[in-house]
Amino acid sequence: MNKVAIVGTGQTKFSKEDANIEKLLFESANNCVQSTKNCNSKDIDGVLVSTNDNSKYMGAILSEMMGIQPKVSHSIEHLCSSGTSAIISAYSYISSGLLDIVLISGVESATNPGQVLEWDKSRGSFDHPIYWASMLTKSHKRKFHTTEEELAIVSAKNHKHAIDNPLAYSNEPRTVSEVMNSKQITDDLRILDCSRSCSGSSSIILASEEKAKKISEQLIWITGIGQKTTSASFTKNILEEIKSTRIAANSAYEMAGIEPKQIDVAEVHDAFSICELMAISELGITSNEKSGEFVRNLFNTENKMINPRGGLIGAGHPLGATGISQTIEITNQLQGKSEKRQIPNAETGLIHNMSAAGTSSSVMVLEN
Amino acid sequence: MTFFENQLEEGIFQICYCENCNSALWPSKEICHVCHEKTIWRKSMNVGTIIEFSKKDSTYFGLIEIDHGIRILGEISCSSEPNIGQSVKMIVSLHNKPHFLFIVENN
Repeated sequence: MNKVAIVGTGQTKFSKEDANIEKLLFESANNCVQSTKNCNSKDIDGVLVSTNDNSKYMGAILSEMMGIQPKVSHSIEHLCSSGTSAIISAYSYISSGLLDIVLISGVESATNPGQVLEWDKSRGSFDHPIYWASMLTKSHKRKFHTTEEELAIVSAKNHKHAIDNPLAYSNEPRTVSEVMNSKQITDDLRILDCSRSCSGSSSIILASEEKAKKISEQLIWITGIGQKTTSASFTKNILEEIKSTRIAANSAYEMAGIEPKQIDVAEVHDAFSICELMAISELGITSNEKSGEFVRNLFNTENKMINPRGGLIGAGHPLGATGISQTIEITNQLQGKSEKRQIPNAETGLIHNMSAAGTSSSVMVLEN
Repeated sequence: MTFFENQLEEGIFQICYCENCNSALWPSKEICHVCHEKTIWRKSMNVGTIIEFSKKDSTYFGLIEIDHGIRILGEISCSSEPNIGQSVKMIVSLHNKPHFLFIVENN
């Protein structure tokens, strides 16, 4: 397999306001190509668009807007992990030798239809994600004695990180007390435990080793990939586990030849506070019993290794763009370009992106 | 509307069953994905067990296990806080989307 590197990135600001997705898509793709020296639009032979929007033919539309006539263009939808699914598809095109340089752009409007999976009849009338999140939270509290305060620390920490992210939907700080006293959604979930659906777009360019070395002097390599789908129905999950994440992480670690302890910085899918605690356990960074304590320690020591960009809770969650934005953050971290968010001497980073209560997960390892 | 939804509208929860594999298939499907034989429909026993629960406003909701280990999310009707492992009776309906109501008896 050919090696694949990240050679360019571009983003828009995330916002709670509704927006035109074609405009957002063009803005982030244009930012991406403009910031990628030694790479013109005509060099790009693949264009992939990740979105949950119902708009048609987005790969071809973005190609035309960018003046590209690629060999391959299409869109990819996989709910909240559409972004990493598109990156992994592009990786596969390049590593197989079919394409050389691929632009991947993710986009969403705040009113996207991706929050509810109508097919899953087992959710009955409780089909909004707040209901499965409440089940996971209650079950984690019951089994691992996770406290309200530990959950609130996840949100306070990620809001604090987002203050230094100029592209986050909000830069408002939130204290632990504010989170714990925010509007109660259910007995086990408060409004500040939830990520917000946002408008926004993120773009990235991947290239083969041969092309990448001509484009950039600061290459970031995708060295590990794991994906797993266990079901589409939420109710087939074991409540205390995100099995798809554990399996995907093990595949990614094996491919990269690393152990979890080698991860210097990670963007994990904190759709709700509970998801971060469960994810860092399934990724092998800590254990379920110690996840609350682990996050408390990060917060108290101002260690930004988990979700330095603010995660989904702090930065916002434009579904199709989220996985790409996470990947851009880790790329910047490994290039030493994250300014106030920078983790010192970061060499190995991880991206965790998942869909529909963790019924499927993507994990990627990046190295500089 | 599917047969499953039509039956929900009549207040009946139907489950697909493969007689060849001797197993229930959920979500329902007309052909068994293991042996590819045509499945049959069987009515649920309309009883279940509470696996987990929470509350929104004054309404309890939760994950309930019914026939053959099938788990679904629904409203829990009870006079005091429910308990894990409690037995419930199921009443189903369809109003644009399925609604599953679980009644805790002797609560």
